Amino acid sequence: MSIKLRDLIRSVRSCKTASEERSVISRESAMIRTAIREEQEQFRHRNVAKLLFMHMLGYATHFGQLECLKLIASPHFPEKRIGYLGLMLLLSEEADVLMLATNSLKNDLNHSNQFIVGLALCTIGNLATPDMSRDLATEVDKHLRSGSPYIRKKAALAMARCLTKCPDMVEDFVERIVSLLKDRSHGVLITAVQLMSCVCEIEPEVGKGSFVRLVPSLVRLLRNLLSMGYSPEHDVSGISDPFLQVHLLRLMTVLGEGNEEASEQMNDILAQVATNTETAKNAGNAILYECVQCIMTVESEEGLRVLAINILGRFLLNRDNNIRYVALNTLGKVVLQDSAAVQRHRNTIVDCLKDPDVSIRTRALDLIFKLVNLDNVEGLTAELLNYLVVCQSENKSDICTRTLGVVDKFSPNERWRVDTLITLLTIAGKDCDDRVLSASSTYIASSKDGVKAYAVHKLVKAMRDDDGTQEGLLIVAIWCIGEFGDMLLNPHTSENGVSYQALEPLNVISEVEGVTKQVTCTNAIRQRALTCFAKLTVRFAHCDAGVVQKLRVLVNKFKASINLELQIRACEYSNLIVEGGSGKGSLARMPVVDPKVAGKKSLRGSMSSGGIDAGAIANSSIPGGGGAVGGGQDVGGDLLDLLDLGGGTPAAAPAAAPTTNQSAIQTAQSTDADLLSDIFAAPMPTPSGAPTVVPPAMGGGGGGGDLLGDMFGGTPAPLAPVAQAPAPAAMPPQPPVVDMFAPQPVAPAGNGGTTANPTFTAFSKDNLTIEFETRKEDLSSQSCEVVATFKNSGSADMTGMNFQVAVPKYITMEMLPPSGTTVPCNGGGNVSQVVKVTNTQMGTKKLMMKLKISYTCAGAKVEEMATASGFPVGY
Amino acid sequence: MPYNYLILMSKQGVVRLASYFKTYTDSDKNRITRFIQNDVLCRTPKMCNVIEKNGQKVVYRRYASLYFIAGVQPDQNELAVLEEIHLFVEILDRYFGNVCELDIIFNFHRAYAILYEVFVAGYVCETSKNEAIKRIADMDRLVEEATQHMDDSSNEENGLSYTMQMQLGRRPTRKINKSMSV
Repeated sequence: MSIKLRDLIRSVRSCKTASEERSVISRESAMIRTAIREEQEQFRHRNVAKLLFMHMLGYATHFGQLECLKLIASPHFPEKRIGYLGLMLLLSEEADVLMLATNSLKNDLNHSNQFIVGLALCTIGNLATPDMSRDLATEVDKHLRSGSPYIRKKAALAMARCLTKCPDMVEDFVERIVSLLKDRSHGVLITAVQLMSCVCEIEPEVGKGSFVRLVPSLVRLLRNLLSMGYSPEHDVSGISDPFLQVHLLRLMTVLGEGNEEASEQMNDILAQVATNTETAKNAGNAILYECVQCIMTVESEEGLRVLAINILGRFLLNRDNNIRYVALNTLGKVVLQDSAAVQRHRNTIVDCLKDPDVSIRTRALDLIFKLVNLDNVEGLTAELLNYLVVCQSENKSDICTRTLGVVDKFSPNERWRVDTLITLLTIAGKDCDDRVLSASSTYIASSKDGVKAYAVHKLVKAMRDDDGTQEGLLIVAIWCIGEFGDMLLNPHTSENGVSYQALEPLNVISEVEGVTKQVTCTNAIRQRALTCFAKLTVRFAHCDAGVVQKLRVLVNKFKASINLELQIRACEYSNLIVEGGSGKGSLARMPVVDPKVAGKKSLRGSMSSGGIDAGAIANSSIPGGGGAVGGGQDVGGDLLDLLDLGGGTPAAAPAAAPTTNQSAIQTAQSTDADLLSDIFAAPMPTPSGAPTVVPPAMGGGGGGGDLLGDMFGGTPAPLAPVAQAPAPAAMPPQPPVVDMFAPQPVAPAGNGGTTANPTFTAFSKDNLTIEFETRKEDLSSQSCEVVATFKNSGSADMTGMNFQVAVPKYITMEMLPPSGTTVPCNGGGNVSQVVKVTNTQMGTKKLMMKLKISYTCAGAKVEEMATASGFPVGY
Repeated sequence: MPYNYLILMSKQGVVRLASYFKTYTDSDKNRITRFIQNDVLCRTPKMCNVIEKNGQKVVYRRYASLYFIAGVQPDQNELAVLEEIHLFVEILDRYFGNVCELDIIFNFHRAYAILYEVFVAGYVCETSKNEAIKRIADMDRLVEEATQHMDDSSNEENGLSYTMQMQLGRRPTRKINKSMSV
């Protein structure tokens, strides 16, 4: 049982919840679907009406589309009326079933009843597809000549739709459109004028070409409207047909643009409209507004333009927000043509920024950005910054970027620019995008020293005053402190009389530290702060040691950061900034970046998303860190060598040692050569950065003696201090000992006969035998001499003999030059070398040595290692 | 300069009448509706009647609890649009006789008929209130005549009368006569 539309609306309105409403609707659509299936003709148009209602509420109604087509085909007017309404509302242009309507439309266009024809024309106007337009255009055209103005006006608008959909048909119908302008009905006139504007829009060439000769007619029409007395039919608040006037003016604007002759014909009437229109009501203002637009667009006289701008100025002072809106809108369009005239209203426009209405503010803002020039940039930018404080946060980013554009273009001097940017960051540091940050730092870095000092002082103050939320400000401030921190240590008085006191290094550091401690501190800020600390070690290098020490502590703190990036950087920086580290070069001040070049770069998108130069610093620190590690490996090569020595696996060692050595050196070299030399103009970091590998003990480097002690001792930590303490103590007596023996190195040989000197073979491999002869002046003395004698029993000479000895920490050792580097073959002569040894722990520990021998035999390089421990008791 | 759409929305954000003159997809239509609900309905009376957002521009006017919202092109004459909206409202007012939201809810099909009498294809079609009212009254009379001739569907017991169906709410003839006399 079908309920009435009215009852459906009632029941839907009485629903208290959305789900209740849904159930009512779904019940009803089920009913309607059944009715459709059962072809219940008598309910059809009522069902479609219900569907329209559901459609408006947003429910699915596609199943009713065909019903509309059936209703259109019905002979009865009420059914047709609902059918066409359903067609216009339920179907869109894309619906496939729409083409089925074409035939019904064609039939109805030829109907004798003008209302049915009107319905069909209206449907074509609202819904026609390109196909339908092509099929029905001739029918529509026929109705343009209809006897009834009701049909003519609807046909004109249906034609507008057809021509919009099929622009190629414009030429066929353009003449017919021209004839419409002779019509006496206002309805037809207004539709005809709109149709002509529409044609000018879709086919400007054809449209303007055909209609420009009508300008006198349009002018006459407008004049008639103006001079016409009161006509109740078309009067709106004392103005006769303002709608037609507006559309006439709009068409004249299109036709007069760039056409001297047409513009000339319009001058008088435009002046008349501009001066005589009553502005008490909205209708009059609408006409005046259109008239101003027309004057500013066509090639009108100078006097008229002044008049138009004055009207806009008057609009601007109007209390009605709509009028002010259109004034701002139009001034924005004419500002490029007549800047001086608009500049006169600058104060009023700036006042509009304080309006509570966002539409007005947006328009005023647009206009102000267009008004900025070299003369007023300071005043207007101050206003922009004021507005930035109060505006909605979603617009802040946009305003920041546009203000940056203004600063780029019109800055009177560096100080002002830096000042403005810092204020901008202070206000909207959390909203502005990376471009603003990077530009700010670039501008500060590229300005004069005085301005730099001013900027960094100002930034520190801003940072101190900030509550930690303006991320952009903090990033720029921290970067600048890192870069120009030394400037903070001197007081600064700027040209405009602002003076800043000198800051203590520790205060500067604690300011930055304070920022990183805040809860709102982001990782981006922490990264900059870390870099800042590292850089400050160089900037504050001349201050007392506590400052640098504090900075090191701060950097080291980040080594425990849960953020991987921070952790890595902290490790790298901490190596750079150790005493004598390579930090000085790599953390030196950035070279000045040309803002224009940087701008281009960022346009190309080649700059990192971070944008800020600190990003570049961070990048450059990667090779820096790598360099340090590489340098470490350089030394580490030797170290590894020795490690292998101490490893006590002589067999494997010779093979392993060279390879590690080589690869380590290769790495070091490649890092050095490629990255370091490129990035840093400063001298290459010295390998003393090596602590990475074994921190304190490596100081000695090449000697290796101390180190080996560690190796042998097995527990380096407790041993090291022990070893170091006695060593210096033992040293002083040593030189005399050495002196004593040095003049007579052959003495032992002379005493060779005495067999008191115990001799043993320390090494014998291949054809090489090394015998150790130990000599001692006094058995109780800790010092002794070991004479190593090399014998070659092979058939080839051994050349380039290199004999190295390593001893544990408790032994000190001095090697004298060997008697030769070539060991002749077949025992044809011996080479000997004296090693003076002092065993500081004689009695408790035996003398022992690690040997490393290298030589070339028959073109082959030989390297050997061995341990000599066969020293007699008492040594 | 055709309109893109014309929507009547209640203060609560319910669409009462909607006509799209440009081809929009359903999601576009939803976006437009949401935009109106979020950005237009909350504006105070003192603010101007134009709002732009994300390339859309609407001119709206509030009459009691109903907002009349026209989606317009960026360079359209906003003041003229307001005047055209007012013309439509005045015609509605004359037709229904002191129109209220309920009239439009229960007689939305009539309201649509008036809408399409004033705006076709997004252009203004008729600027004379009298002319528009006269044509709509003529059509209503045509409907009434047709329903009287169509005996098959004027079965009162089933509630099928065309008169009943077409004259939901108040009787338009009475209304029209009243308003014409005013």
